[in-house]
Amino acid sequence: MTAHLTRIRSRLAIHAHRKVRGLLEGEYAAIHAGRGIDFNDLREYVRGDDVKDIDWKASARSRQLLVKRYVAERKHTVLLCVSTGRSMAAMNDAAVAKRELAVTVAGVMGHLAVQHGDLVALVHGNAESCHSERPGGGDLHLERLLGSAYDAIRPDGPPGDLATLLRHVVRTVRRRTILVVVTDETALADDAIALLRRLTVQHEVLFVTLGDLDPTLPAVADRRLVDIDAGSEVPGWLRRDERLRREYAALVDDEAQKLRRRLDQLGIAQEMVRDHDDAITAVFRLLERHRHARRR
Amino acid sequence: MWTREDTGFQWPWLVVALAAAVVVLLVVWLALWRGRRPAAGSASYVAHAGRLRALPRYRTLVRRQVALGACLTLAALVAASGAIVVAGRVQERQTLVQSDRTRDIVLCLDASGSMAEVDRQVLREFRTIVDGLQGERVGLTIWSGAAITIFPLTDDYQYVVDQLYEAEKAFRDGTVISDDYAVFTAGTVVDWDIQSQLGDGLASCVQRFDRRDEDRTRAIVLASDNEPVGTGIYSVPEAAQYAADENVVVHGIAAPRTADRPPAVREFRSAMARTGGTFSLLGDDSSAGAVVRAIDSLEATPIDRPPVVQVFDRPRLGTTLAGIGLAGLALVWAVQGGLALRDRRGGAR
Repeated sequence: MTAHLTRIRSRLAIHAHRKVRGLLEGEYAAIHAGRGIDFNDLREYVRGDDVKDIDWKASARSRQLLVKRYVAERKHTVLLCVSTGRSMAAMNDAAVAKRELAVTVAGVMGHLAVQHGDLVALVHGNAESCHSERPGGGDLHLERLLGSAYDAIRPDGPPGDLATLLRHVVRTVRRRTILVVVTDETALADDAIALLRRLTVQHEVLFVTLGDLDPTLPAVADRRLVDIDAGSEVPGWLRRDERLRREYAALVDDEAQKLRRRLDQLGIAQEMVRDHDDAITAVFRLLERHRHARRR
Repeated sequence: MWTREDTGFQWPWLVVALAAAVVVLLVVWLALWRGRRPAAGSASYVAHAGRLRALPRYRTLVRRQVALGACLTLAALVAASGAIVVAGRVQERQTLVQSDRTRDIVLCLDASGSMAEVDRQVLREFRTIVDGLQGERVGLTIWSGAAITIFPLTDDYQYVVDQLYEAEKAFRDGTVISDDYAVFTAGTVVDWDIQSQLGDGLASCVQRFDRRDEDRTRAIVLASDNEPVGTGIYSVPEAAQYAADENVVVHGIAAPRTADRPPAVREFRSAMARTGGTFSLLGDDSSAGAVVRAIDSLEATPIDRPPVVQVFDRPRLGTTLAGIGLAGLALVWAVQGGLALRDRRGGAR
């Protein structure tokens, strides 16, 4: 039952050994705009904590930087917004499926929220239907959310449509949330941009993009590849072409940059996630960038 | 002489069946190819691959692949058609219509000086006739006191024509004083007291026929003036009887001056009649037509033999087609491999 979350925890544990213990937590705590005023306790400063929270007197006494922790005045909600179009069932790279990665990213965010005592909700959907899961706390709830998102992504499902999903969020979510959009869109349509602009007013929007398997990758040259959108095979004879590989890489880079610029214009922090290890770093960078972007 | 009759398949039904099989296979393959769905089992999914199709390089590669595929298909079809042709066994039928006019003609010329003019005409006419011969064999024997063979029976007509021309040249002057004549007729006179022996000459010519066991029409064109000097071994009736016994038809051509001696003409005519041949007396005008008629009148008994048929396999067309097809296949594959290798290495140029 707790398969997804266990895996994510173990990944986080591995990550923590790389001398960034607490880093994510600090970053996560800092994204909340409003903080409670009731002082709870002190803890050691970790990078990413807001400098304003440092208790200078206590730090001077204990000869280490300590930050004040407050009891949050109310519980925040992290809304995981996962696109479940059929393209999400494809491969991310030679080894990892995109839905695994989507669940990992959503799981890291959810795990941080759960650890922090916040609520986690889920919206997932595609061009045909959208589903919402009520906010809740606890590992079990998170695991259920991850499971339903994972199961909703099927190779024979309808195509993904970010605008529909965002419209669903606009229509159904009343409260202010930390909205984590996990999608694999390569470009944003105008209606999606308008919706994102609308959502940034209400939510803290974090945007995670998943990459696609490069069909011209030498690692998959001997594998049969099926274009999940068209349902046809990507012929093997052209995937070894070096020039095609370069042209494709240039195109993908170009699209990624355009997307990033678009989201920058909207003031939305965006990260491209490429693999499982990258997922945790990406979440960290996302939180950091978001904090900085908002400060501006 | 072998004549080509017709070229065709030994097993036309196999050709049709194989061609039909190829067409059926093509149709089935096309249908399967059209209706194919990528099996999800072993394949990996990739999303947003549509971007790949928008690339100019993709379109170039597809165009190239289509062209190569078309060439491959063409080469394969050519190879297949070659194989089908080989399977059908192209055969050529040749028939040998055996010479139906198996005449053996011996020109039997009196080489005595008085006959030179007649001999020349006979030879010249005969030379034109030889061109139209088919299957006949011709020999030339001249005699006076003794007979000598200028050439034996042969169907090498080129040789015959050459020899007749030589002989004609020797008799051209119509006199006995030329060197050509002396050389040509050397040996025909052993004893000056015995010359122009018609009986001996005829008997010698009869002996010139070979292949006695074969059923051939044998004829002698005998030109003489029947003016013997001295006494020979055979008298004219004896020689005629000998010819008749050997089933040789003798056609006589008498020189114009023979008419001056009616007993000689009579003897000559009766001898020819005994062998069943004709006798003609050349007029003073020495008309060539008489010689021609005399020779043409030689009956050619057609021999009814079944034609010999031989059948050859002619695999060259099929193997050539198959070879071209296979070479094309190899070529296209080589080109494809070369291009793929170049592209894989980077094509950075």
